[in-house]
Amino acid sequence: MPRLDIAARLRNPSGATAKSPDSGTGTFWILSLGSALLLIMGWLLPWSVEPFSAGIGFSPQDVVTSSPSGVAAFLVYVLGITMLALLASPVAELVARIRKRPLPVRWDRIRLMIALGGLALTVVVWLLFRVVQEEPVFGPVDAHTISDSAIWLTMIGYILAAVAHGARDWVISHPNTAFAAVALPFAALIPLIFHQAPDFVFWAASSLAIYTLLALGLNVVVGFAGLLDLGYAAFFAIGAYTCAALSSPKYNVHLPLWVLIFIGAAVASMFGAVLGAPTLRLRGDYLAIVTLGFGEIIPDLAINNVGNLTNGPDGISSIDQPHFLFFNFSTTPAWYYVALLIVVVAVIILLRNLEHSRVGRAWIAIREDEVAAAATGINTTSTKLLAFAIGASVAGLAGAFYGSIVGIVSPEAFSFSVSVAVLSIVVLGGIGNITGVILGSFVLTFVIFWVLQYLHEWSATLSHTLNVPALGNVDYSKYTYIVYGVALIGMMLLRPGGLLPSRARRIELQSGGEEESLAAVQGRA
Amino acid sequence: MADEVVTPVGTQAPRGRMLVDQRGLSPRAHGGANRPGAVAVLSLLRGAYTFVQRFFPQILLIGTAVAILLVYTTGGLTLMGEQIRNALVLGAIYALVAIGYTMVYGIIELINFAHGDVFTLAGFYALFFTTAFASALGGLATGHGGLGLVVALIIVFALTMTAAGLTGVLIEFVAYRRLRDAPRLAPLITAIGVSFLLEGVMLVKYGPDNIPTQDSGWITGHAFTLGSVVVEWKQVFIVVIAIVLMFSLGAFVRATRLGKAMRATAQDRNAALLCGININRTISATFFIGSALAAAGAIVYSINYNLIQWNLGYRLGIIAFTAAVLGGIGNIVGAGVGGFLIGIIYVFGGQLAGGQWSESLIFAILVIILTFRPVGLFGVDVTTRA
Repeated sequence: MPRLDIAARLRNPSGATAKSPDSGTGTFWILSLGSALLLIMGWLLPWSVEPFSAGIGFSPQDVVTSSPSGVAAFLVYVLGITMLALLASPVAELVARIRKRPLPVRWDRIRLMIALGGLALTVVVWLLFRVVQEEPVFGPVDAHTISDSAIWLTMIGYILAAVAHGARDWVISHPNTAFAAVALPFAALIPLIFHQAPDFVFWAASSLAIYTLLALGLNVVVGFAGLLDLGYAAFFAIGAYTCAALSSPKYNVHLPLWVLIFIGAAVASMFGAVLGAPTLRLRGDYLAIVTLGFGEIIPDLAINNVGNLTNGPDGISSIDQPHFLFFNFSTTPAWYYVALLIVVVAVIILLRNLEHSRVGRAWIAIREDEVAAAATGINTTSTKLLAFAIGASVAGLAGAFYGSIVGIVSPEAFSFSVSVAVLSIVVLGGIGNITGVILGSFVLTFVIFWVLQYLHEWSATLSHTLNVPALGNVDYSKYTYIVYGVALIGMMLLRPGGLLPSRARRIELQSGGEEESLAAVQGRA
Repeated sequence: MADEVVTPVGTQAPRGRMLVDQRGLSPRAHGGANRPGAVAVLSLLRGAYTFVQRFFPQILLIGTAVAILLVYTTGGLTLMGEQIRNALVLGAIYALVAIGYTMVYGIIELINFAHGDVFTLAGFYALFFTTAFASALGGLATGHGGLGLVVALIIVFALTMTAAGLTGVLIEFVAYRRLRDAPRLAPLITAIGVSFLLEGVMLVKYGPDNIPTQDSGWITGHAFTLGSVVVEWKQVFIVVIAIVLMFSLGAFVRATRLGKAMRATAQDRNAALLCGININRTISATFFIGSALAAAGAIVYSINYNLIQWNLGYRLGIIAFTAAVLGGIGNIVGAGVGGFLIGIIYVFGGQLAGGQWSESLIFAILVIILTFRPVGLFGVDVTTRA
């Protein structure tokens, strides 16, 4: 991106530190924290299914310790020590960062060794567990299915740690490649790792993948072109309703899904252009409110059953689930996940190319300074319209899948909170940065649609073991709104660039407040 | 464009004046303008745009009058009278909430998205106070005739308005103050976050259902009968209290030192700072007053409708914001007028098209007015902003 290089050189004429040592550490942190999280999850996951069977920690390690016999006990203790070391690693990094004294290089090598050792041990456990099915060593293997998932998670946790510490320089110099290299295999493996947990795969398909698509689309509008769209769920709704009508008994039309995704995208992008056209002259915050108005009107139209198109509050139900060759989507939600993964990767490639194309540069120019962009010959109206249309088309695509996965499309699924959820993902991950948006969608959908859903079981176990009845009966899914609110406020106040700021944002933030206040004077939106 | 203020060359227009960007209107901005058909269509569109932009107030007012007449011809005088009564009550509440939006936008150009939820929160504050002192306040309000009622109302209003005002000040301090010089969308996103945080807290605390309020039985009886339209005391009370509060606010802004500081800060924050005005205190005061008025709206809402719900403020907030835009955002008198006008449109639109369309109608008006005439009905003048 030549523009940024010039900007960086202007601010730093000597060019001595063209690349600050700090840039790109975000991905390193993700790997480090992610490995810690996965190791903890590997420990905690079995709780969620068998809350009361064995008190605290019915994890594979506990299965082992329940009948400790020589080798097994040894394995468990060594595994525990390596885990603790890697859990302590991000803390040590944080302390080093606060004290502004980097950790010695040899610590990285030590942690790499620990990670590789842990990985080897986990592989041994997995072999004994799955292949040899060592009943006498491991005691009862009743819960072996969930323990299997836990072992896989532990294994991936160790791999992440190994990559983070073994190839730290590469991760820092190629953050996006490193992220893709880690995230893509993990995403592809989810249905395999959790093959015994259809809930989890269903979550991954219906929430993670759909919300990732939505966030990628909104990122085009908010992140690239800098137009705040608060009614994004409207386009999601349009896509979902269109495809639901064309693949259900309502009109007795049954089109296949891979045709519908194009129809959904086309119809939604048409609406994006039509609804966007009159509003593009507006300044940022007024545009946001106008899109909010659209976002409220569209579900209202659906509730009021305009032209008998939407079946009112009941919605359109019994939507087709694709079935061809041996891919039966209705019995195996994993196929949805696989299909969505392919679509997400395709959309990411498309959007990345778009971002670095002439149009993408025009979007960024408009975002940074609309007057200057118009003066350089950019047709601001059509460029903004294109952003709206492309953003909407991705939402329409997501809507096509959504209807088919859930089987019913009804108005309350497209309320304002969906728009805010998608906005929170974009803000949390990093406005304008595709990698950040993917990370944001993983973090937020994981917290909202998985942790909050199942937290009451863990908390019930905890209340049982610690004898605190107050913890036993809490409905954590009520806390969704608070999570969105805290994510939005916290990010805007503490880290306005998001978890992984886009490169432009990072340079702006590093160059101090001067640029920002200038932009504020110009009323940049 | 007749209503656009043309800035003389060499003077710096205050930010926020260029509400409509006219650049895209030049024919060169559109591709394909060299084809005759496209030119004709474009000039037609531009003509329609200009027409709506110029005559929007007339269109809206005539439409409202026609709606009232239609209700009169189809439903008779009684229905029309009752609906006007309902519209005034609703409009009073909208007006009280709209003032908070308009004051905050006037002074820091922020659409305070959380304002509607401050309204709901104030409703729960009122519920808390009337429940906590149920025996004392309830007995005072219902057992001692008029004077006891007045004292009880004053206590509830004072407590709730203070609590809500302090909440507003706290929100500004925590969430908006640090972003005052950030790009415009940053505080708006934070405001949405605050809105969701407040809604989430109320959802966790009070659950998803309607909660009956305590003070609904305080004001009883019929005030007077106009023809066959019965007007209750509580309806009179609501409209009177809204008008009294709005006029006292107007006087406050016009006559006091703090009001003058508010107007100065709204006009030019840096110049006001140079004049020795404490900007932070002035903005805090604005948030306090706006939130307190929303709290007054919440109390009269709970008196009239008897129910309160965790997400009540979301849509009510958007409707009140529409009222603020309709009256010209930044204009206190405009917000009051806009509130009553929106009340009339809401009630009569719902009567004609079916109640389920009322809110869509208001949102459509919001979209249209922001698109075509964001300066509002009257075309706001900077000097009247507060």
